Amino acid sequence: MRRVCLIAWAELALMVRSRVALIGVIALLLLSTIAAATSYAHMAQERLGRIANQTETDALFEAQPARHPHRMVHYGSYVYRPIGTLAGFDPGIDPFSGTTLYLEGHRQNSATISAVRENSSLMRFGQLTPAFVLQTLAPLLLIFLGFSMITRERTRGSLRLLLSSGVTARDIILGKTLALGSVGLVAIAPAWLTLVLMAIVMPSEAGAAAMVGLGYGLYMLIWVVGIIATSALARSGQAALLVLIGIWCFIAVVAPRGAAELANRLEPLESRAATDLTIQAELRQLGDSHNPDDPFFAAFKARTLAHYGVTKVEDLPFNFRGAVSAEGEALTSRLFAMHFAELATTQRAQSNIVANLSIFSPALAVRRVSMAGAGTDLETHLRFLQQSEAHRFAMVQYLNGLHRNRLSLADDAARSKDPQAEKRTRIGATNWAKVPDFVFKPTSAADRLSAAITPILILALWLGATVILAGWSGRVLAGRAL
Amino acid sequence: MRHLWREIKFLLGQRASVWTIALLTCLAALSVGLGLQEVARQKAAISEVIALQKTDTAAIKTFATDAGDAAYYRFHPTWDPPSTLAFAALGQRDIAPSILRIRALALEGQIHENEAHNPELALPGRFDFAFVLIYLAPLVLIVLFYDLWSGEREAGRLASLQALPKARMRVWLPRIAVRFGLVSAVLVFVFWGGALISGAGLSETIAFTSLILTLVGFWTLIATLIAKGTGSSPTNAAVQATIWFVITLIGPAGSNLVINATTPIPDGAAIMRENREAVHDAWDVDRDATLQRFYKLYPEYATSPPMQRPFEWKWYYAFQHLGDQHVEPLSRAYRAGITERDARAGLVALALPPIAIQRGLHRIARTDMAAQSSYQDRIRAYHTRLRTYYYPYLFKAKPFTPADFDAAPAFEHPSGENVH
Repeated sequence: MRRVCLIAWAELALMVRSRVALIGVIALLLLSTIAAATSYAHMAQERLGRIANQTETDALFEAQPARHPHRMVHYGSYVYRPIGTLAGFDPGIDPFSGTTLYLEGHRQNSATISAVRENSSLMRFGQLTPAFVLQTLAPLLLIFLGFSMITRERTRGSLRLLLSSGVTARDIILGKTLALGSVGLVAIAPAWLTLVLMAIVMPSEAGAAAMVGLGYGLYMLIWVVGIIATSALARSGQAALLVLIGIWCFIAVVAPRGAAELANRLEPLESRAATDLTIQAELRQLGDSHNPDDPFFAAFKARTLAHYGVTKVEDLPFNFRGAVSAEGEALTSRLFAMHFAELATTQRAQSNIVANLSIFSPALAVRRVSMAGAGTDLETHLRFLQQSEAHRFAMVQYLNGLHRNRLSLADDAARSKDPQAEKRTRIGATNWAKVPDFVFKPTSAADRLSAAITPILILALWLGATVILAGWSGRVLAGRAL
Repeated sequence: MRHLWREIKFLLGQRASVWTIALLTCLAALSVGLGLQEVARQKAAISEVIALQKTDTAAIKTFATDAGDAAYYRFHPTWDPPSTLAFAALGQRDIAPSILRIRALALEGQIHENEAHNPELALPGRFDFAFVLIYLAPLVLIVLFYDLWSGEREAGRLASLQALPKARMRVWLPRIAVRFGLVSAVLVFVFWGGALISGAGLSETIAFTSLILTLVGFWTLIATLIAKGTGSSPTNAAVQATIWFVITLIGPAGSNLVINATTPIPDGAAIMRENREAVHDAWDVDRDATLQRFYKLYPEYATSPPMQRPFEWKWYYAFQHLGDQHVEPLSRAYRAGITERDARAGLVALALPPIAIQRGLHRIARTDMAAQSSYQDRIRAYHTRLRTYYYPYLFKAKPFTPADFDAAPAFEHPSGENVH
């Protein structure tokens, strides 16, 4: 062990003496600090902005004057996707998906206002976040600092000297790994510190933060061990460097795009406009509220009349028009739910394809851990859409309930022609405050942890493979030096 | 010529060079294939929606017999077909819809609609030809150039090579030209293959090709300057890779932060909400005052008789338009802010040539921010045609016949790519 530490120490001393290495490490530290600070500040500002928007929207809703309840159905409401504490570490999908959803009767709108459509195209080159620095940039720095650690010893002839003085190839591999590992530790330190701070601010997120920290730790270690093994196996420093840059390019640059492209091909999504039109066509099949003789609504009428033992809708103890509105909303909502389920299934299948491909790229695996832990993955967005739809339905049906129970059918029918009837169909503003506020239930910490288990295992598998490679490279090294 | 042939044979004798060039060829061909497929998919999606819309419109026609109902229920498709070069630079087309169905109601609530894409797939960006060119081609050039001088020095041949008469003309220029030529040829031929299949015009293909050559030329220049230096082979490779990743990864990401911080834009969500407030407030304010405000904008309808009933369609469409008018300054500032951000990104690109080239590719392929906003402008112009088409029926009681239903203006795309 002492020999291992000595080798590591000598390597680190060399690195400190070489200005290039020092500048590289300092540059990375600077970048990760800037990334952590700006990303955290930006997401905190986003979070406050959305909370302010939600408060404002809810206050506006409650402040609406006396109105016909169906006007409130069309007035609708907005919900804004909330942001978790760890989103500052990895904003994930947040900038790439709509954050604002307009909830109204009869329609299911898309989430709009996304950062990617408000930014210049520069954003698509990558965003300076702690996640980006760790996933993409830090491995490149490790490659530059580590590729020649062993090849250098061999070309200089010091390798043979070491081996003949009783140092084993294993000691050399371990020592160099320890040296490069310390650089990796320095590189990951700001990120870990950020995660610890976030966990202190929000103790309920501590488990997720720990898991994200573990994921990145494994990821760094994979690179450290892999780089040293490559350096031991390569015939020359330049061969090691080229191979490593090639591997980095594949893992961090090509694989994420390639995997996304493949997922798009294998599980194509229907355009939103086509889905909307399909829903409209299905709706006409089921029941057409514009057709007075429509079988669906005729059956609903007959059923309702029979249930109350009356012969005309005027004799019902409530406003039949409100009941029809509620029935129609229930019908459309069933179709919305069905088609949303299809969309969610396809999108989950797409993301699963990418997840499976992380066997080929640990960057994909660590990204999954990172986004799941930070609550900025597809799952969070789908949950937001689903809960918003549930909230929309509850809000509209509450208003339809008022329409049904508080208005007289005669006034309701005459309101477009008779100003007095129109006045009587307006009900008090106090009713609006009774609509429950939208409370987003994010993915629970336990669910996020379990979502990260598979990618963590994949990272562990990668680490295992690189360790085996390093062990083998030690034997090759010993053999070649003789 | 003799020297060139010799250098080509030299280069193709090196396994690493052959492999990297072969890999570049495969990836470029793959990206072009995927791009063509994606463009075909987008076109098919547009045709599908237009066909589905016809059925929907026919069903609406059976019950929407007055102009108010027709304008309320009938959606009209607008579309932004991919250009013939979009396959090579897909740009922003994955996150912005290429089809938007709109109605004659207030537009601000409709124009921000998003496509139902999976944000996890948009996050890494597309695997298109522009990606292969901007990200991967420079790395291939690094592999081909990094030891051009240092390799000879390390092999002990540099002094004798330099001592050759006209060494520059006989050795170095041919070596550089062969590398530049091979990489350019691979990229250009693969791109031309795609352009041919997609039926791209000659001038845009030439413009695109010149950008490809400029990019390869830029990185050849950088690689030559570094390789000529006194560094060892690994140092040269590391320096070139560092320059590459500062220019293509850190530069744009850092600039984007600065641009966003220095160019604030109005909150898009607030604009939508403000629009809704303006539209819905109309139900609770004096109806005649609303109409008078509308008549100021459209005096030709001021002679329309006053409202007889609490609800009339003309009043409804008047306040829809007034709602758009109300947020017009904000909406304009929002769009101007996005344009300004993009303009500043253009300034950043002056310092980062590959970024400028990427922007050029997207410009030519009409997949950039400007193309998105010009699609939005076309939607806005079409929306104006659409709502004003209905006004005479609403305000002048012009009879609305089934023929008038059919005669509602249809969206037209300036490229002539109109699906009927």
